[in-house]
Amino acid sequence: MSVIWQQRTHGIQRRKQQSAMLLARLFVVAIIIATTMAAAYLALVAANVHAASRVWTMEQTLSEMYRQNHALWIEIARASSIPVLQERSVQLGYQPAHSVDFLQIGEP
Amino acid sequence: MLRGPDVRLRLITVLLIATLLLIVGQLVRLQVLGHAQHHTETEALVHRQYALPEPPWGIILDRNGNLLVGNLPVYNVGAEVNLVTDTVMSAMTLAPLLNRPAKDLQEVLTPPITDAGTSVWRPLANEVSEETAAKIRELGWFWITLTPTWQRFYAEGALASHTLGFVNKEGLGYGLQAFQLRFLRGNNLSQTGPVSVQSSPLADEVVAKDILPYPGTDLRLTLDRTIQAYIEGELDIALQEYGASGGTILVLNPRTGEILAIASRPNYEPYRYPDHAAAGEEALFLDPAASVPYEPGSVFKVLTLAAALDSGRATTDWSYYDNGKLEYGGIKVYNASRGAYGQQNLFGIISESLNVGASVLSTQVMGAEVFYQYLRAFGFGQTTGIEVVGESSGLVHLPSDWNWSDSYLATNAFGQGIAVTPLQLAAAVSAIANDGVMMQPHIIAERRHSDGRSVAVLPKPISQPISAETAHAVAEIMAQSVDKKSDSLEIPGYRLAGKSGTAQIPTTGGYEPDSVIASFIGFAPWPDPQVLILVKIDRPDGIPLAQRWGEYTAVPVFRRVMERVVVLMGVPPNETLTRQ
Repeated sequence: MSVIWQQRTHGIQRRKQQSAMLLARLFVVAIIIATTMAAAYLALVAANVHAASRVWTMEQTLSEMYRQNHALWIEIARASSIPVLQERSVQLGYQPAHSVDFLQIGEP
Repeated sequence: MLRGPDVRLRLITVLLIATLLLIVGQLVRLQVLGHAQHHTETEALVHRQYALPEPPWGIILDRNGNLLVGNLPVYNVGAEVNLVTDTVMSAMTLAPLLNRPAKDLQEVLTPPITDAGTSVWRPLANEVSEETAAKIRELGWFWITLTPTWQRFYAEGALASHTLGFVNKEGLGYGLQAFQLRFLRGNNLSQTGPVSVQSSPLADEVVAKDILPYPGTDLRLTLDRTIQAYIEGELDIALQEYGASGGTILVLNPRTGEILAIASRPNYEPYRYPDHAAAGEEALFLDPAASVPYEPGSVFKVLTLAAALDSGRATTDWSYYDNGKLEYGGIKVYNASRGAYGQQNLFGIISESLNVGASVLSTQVMGAEVFYQYLRAFGFGQTTGIEVVGESSGLVHLPSDWNWSDSYLATNAFGQGIAVTPLQLAAAVSAIANDGVMMQPHIIAERRHSDGRSVAVLPKPISQPISAETAHAVAEIMAQSVDKKSDSLEIPGYRLAGKSGTAQIPTTGGYEPDSVIASFIGFAPWPDPQVLILVKIDRPDGIPLAQRWGEYTAVPVFRRVMERVVVLMGVPPNETLTRQ
């Protein structure tokens, strides 16, 4: 015969039993609240870690893009440097202008 | 034997409490009593310095946006030598990639015996190209480290080398880059904190600490690379033609103070500065246009004239009798031709380049106080504030100096006994071209910050040494003087104003007997000048002595350069063309 059964059958005061039940419920509620808060905290931390990871990746990507951008600058500069342009101009048949005449247009 | 449920219940309670106390006790031992020790151990285990790749330096563009100095992405190669398994094979493989002897590499890759078992990192090569880095990555060796970095890239080679300059690893250098280092160099932030196994900072680190590096500020210059390339070509031709040892050509806009091109010889290749330094050629790094003063000679007479007119001590009608000689301060001043020219006026002093006339103006008309007051106003004896390292202020002797001699007043009037830089001279003469107002000479047109802000450098007047009327009068005399030499200095459609000079080169106790510095400074189109050009040829010793004058050496170069520059700048002619 269990203790509880004995308490019930042997006339333990009902008020005492009710307070124990209340305590138990409070305990359960506290655990639920704590679990929810812990879950929320963990979710926040996880989101934080994810965001931080993305920030770090983006910062690295930015650095890489700087490098690609500057590599392109140099590629363009090489293709349009003065010796290259001169060579291409000559290939296209251009010649240095030895005399330049300005067309003077009078005021209307 | 336990009896009854109450006893068993109490026993379980006691056991649970004891277990709880044990856990709490352990926690206190580990986290409170042993905190310091464990914290240190953890820090040593996971705390590392971390950073993002080094940000690029600011690039340098010409006035039209063409790249002059950029950044080439490269890598520094290193190795954790304690992890290398086969040093011989590794060295043999890396040798052709890193352009180093295999024997050297093998030595570097062999870990020191004393450090066996510990992590040892050693650099293998610096600034290897992207292609080489890709080949090294393909090897798949985990002990190789490739650190991204940059190498300065000079898009036009040695073009404008003195102006652009360079900066070495220690942050020292020459030219614009050294002067603007704090703008050009980006900010590379590194932090120390807990990192993951991939050496990435943990989340709290990323959130709490800002390590995003920001690139340097880009600079857009006032230089025009086409004009720059043209004047460098002309200077090279001139030096070869005259057998000269060096020279300078400077092109600026007198209305704004913008320097459009500035070239000097001998020059150097900025990307090879370590080789030049190793060869003891550091003198090449100094910009002759801004850092090396010289005695300007007769071109200085236009400033003496301007001072005399502006001070009111002489008028445009002033004249004197030139007997070919002036004694002052214990010396005798002669004209360059040693001749006497009789009654002369201001125009005669410029067109015939009369030393005696210039000395008369400084000694008898103005006096030392007025003359040097004007020289000061023209900026001599002071730096111009150009954005390059090591600008010289020149050398002007003043009556208050301990080594002053009265003869300086006579000789300074025609550019002897005084040392100025080409830049100082150009800035001073630009006042004559710009209604008496001296503009701040500058080579930076705009600063573009990495956050998108852009700051334009606006033209800035720095002083007005002479009135507009004086400036016009002097410029007109210079123009008439050029008109007189129409054969050698004609550019159809453009009226020029200028003055030539042939200066002796001072040496210990006197002047070199045969060597000279020939020069010409002028502007066009008068009366609305848009371009001022200074040509200076050092020691044109490859031609006969009688032909070393500025008129025969610097003038033809000036004419060719001016003829091309007005076209490149789109300056229309201001005179009716006579050519059919």
